[in-house]
Amino acid sequence: MRVIIVEDSVLLAEGLTLLLTTEGHEVVATVGTAEEFHEAVDEHRPDIAVVDIRLPPTFRDEGVRAAVEVRRVHPGQPILVLSQYVEQTYATELLAGGGGGIGYLLKDRVARVSEFVDALERVAKGGTAMDPEVIAQLLVRRHAHPIDSLTPREREVLSLMAEGHSNTDIAASLVVTERAVHKHVGNIFAKLGLPPSDSGHRRVLAVLAYLSGV
Amino acid sequence: MVRRTVTATGRLLLGLLLVPLCLLAIAVTFVTLVVSATYLGLILLPYAIRLNRGVASLARRNAGAWLGRPVTASYHPIRGGILTRVRVVMGDPQTWRDLAFLAQHVFTGPFGAIPAIALWGALGWALSLPLWWDAFGPGRHIYLPWALDSWWTVALTVPLFMAVVAAVGFRIVPLVAEGLAQLARSLLATPQHVRLAERVAEALDAHGYELRRIERDLHDGAQARLVSIAMRLGIAERVLATDPGKAAALITEARLSTEETMTELRGIIRGMYPPILADRGLPGAVAALAARSPVPVETETDDVGRLPAAVEAAAYFVIAEALTNVARHSSATKATIVVRRTENRLTAEVTDDGRGGADEDGGSGLAGIRRRVSAFDGETTLTSPRGGPTTLRVELPCE
Repeated sequence: MRVIIVEDSVLLAEGLTLLLTTEGHEVVATVGTAEEFHEAVDEHRPDIAVVDIRLPPTFRDEGVRAAVEVRRVHPGQPILVLSQYVEQTYATELLAGGGGGIGYLLKDRVARVSEFVDALERVAKGGTAMDPEVIAQLLVRRHAHPIDSLTPREREVLSLMAEGHSNTDIAASLVVTERAVHKHVGNIFAKLGLPPSDSGHRRVLAVLAYLSGV
Repeated sequence: MVRRTVTATGRLLLGLLLVPLCLLAIAVTFVTLVVSATYLGLILLPYAIRLNRGVASLARRNAGAWLGRPVTASYHPIRGGILTRVRVVMGDPQTWRDLAFLAQHVFTGPFGAIPAIALWGALGWALSLPLWWDAFGPGRHIYLPWALDSWWTVALTVPLFMAVVAAVGFRIVPLVAEGLAQLARSLLATPQHVRLAERVAEALDAHGYELRRIERDLHDGAQARLVSIAMRLGIAERVLATDPGKAAALITEARLSTEETMTELRGIIRGMYPPILADRGLPGAVAALAARSPVPVETETDDVGRLPAAVEAAAYFVIAEALTNVARHSSATKATIVVRRTENRLTAEVTDDGRGGADEDGGSGLAGIRRRVSAFDGETTLTSPRGGPTTLRVELPCE
């Protein structure tokens, strides 16, 4: 894959480059500001952009704003946003534009290289990668909520679904058959009163919208 | 003018009534101080000081009512063991200022009442003249430059005398009341600079406590973990050639430990100054808090603009703590956050529809909120009738 890195910290940019090239991907550009990010996307049309949330000049949430803006100009441009902390509000903003190919992960996740690369590839293919922390923030809510009626296993499946994993991935990480996952998913949608939906980005959106919209 | 003089007279007479109380308080304090060479005296001393404070607070109310604005003092709270209590009351400058007030009031109180009593006495005397001027025989025993020897002299004298007395008295009596009230205020109100000094001391205390907490968290947590990571990597490096399996295990451990360290550092940073505050300011941060609350929350936030970071953080932590309380104790089904900025004040209000009856002393973090807010010279108000609703309101000054 052809990747651009938007990260103002040289240390982290180098680390990411090392990681990605080691995994066989090509880093076509490394830039440090939102403006250069726009230019780099225009120039290289990368398969995916990995973007730090804090960028000069204010070091606040430029990364989120830039990601939303770039995707407005180039709909569907896959972007993976990395941050030292996650907020559900940012996740909502990133997803608001619609369309797949969006990821939002804690920087910590980079340490689990294979999982990180999986997420990266998923997003590049138009899928979704939401950090488990975001999902955890969404799941703490609400007394007397239909979510309470889910079994612990179903909650696990729901979380993984919301993070953007496919049924195959979920089956693998829970060590169950894909058919079992399929059954859980059916139960979850029935219990929450959601229209059944295939795997992929639309499903993630439905679940996340349901969780944050109550 | 008449009204003001009547009020002044009332205040001065109340001041006169305070004189015996002052005497009593001084006597009790004196005796207690004398016997405080013994243990018994030390036990009694704080109570004697409480009596002083009681009398002083009556005088404060009297002076405040005349001045039209409250006269307030801040005392160091009396608590702790016997010796601590003695040290607190003896070390509180307001103790001695109170005592000074009581001592001077024994003199100024009666002197202040003299013009008031004289004024009304003289007016009463003049009014009663027509009744008795004739009784002692004309002209005698009445100290006037002219003799009262006929009805018409009396008829002229009464209004003339009253006019003169009133002209003088109605000016002097309010003046005396004003003077005594100012004197009382100068002794009984804790001076601005003392208050400021106390607040600065509190703020420094809180700040020092925070620094120590952060130091401890970093030292015992992140730093220790980094050492263990470095150790594992060092060993892995050494055994890489001879025992690749062991090296791999050590590296995995090091990575896991790194992840834990990052989680921990995030927690510490959040406790210092939540990143969302830096990113989005108070409105954005409050929205994020509301989004992650287990109880549904409606927010109503003014565009408060940028505030001093410390004030922003204080407001944020207070709201966070309040929401935690709502989720934990109130059984509420919904809550509302209102954040407003008026001129130089930031107001935050958290209301829930829960069962109410929130207890200040119940260890529910309310004491912490109060401490945090008072360090900024802010105000905390909690209304929580049994059955709800509960409203926590904090006001923070901000420039």
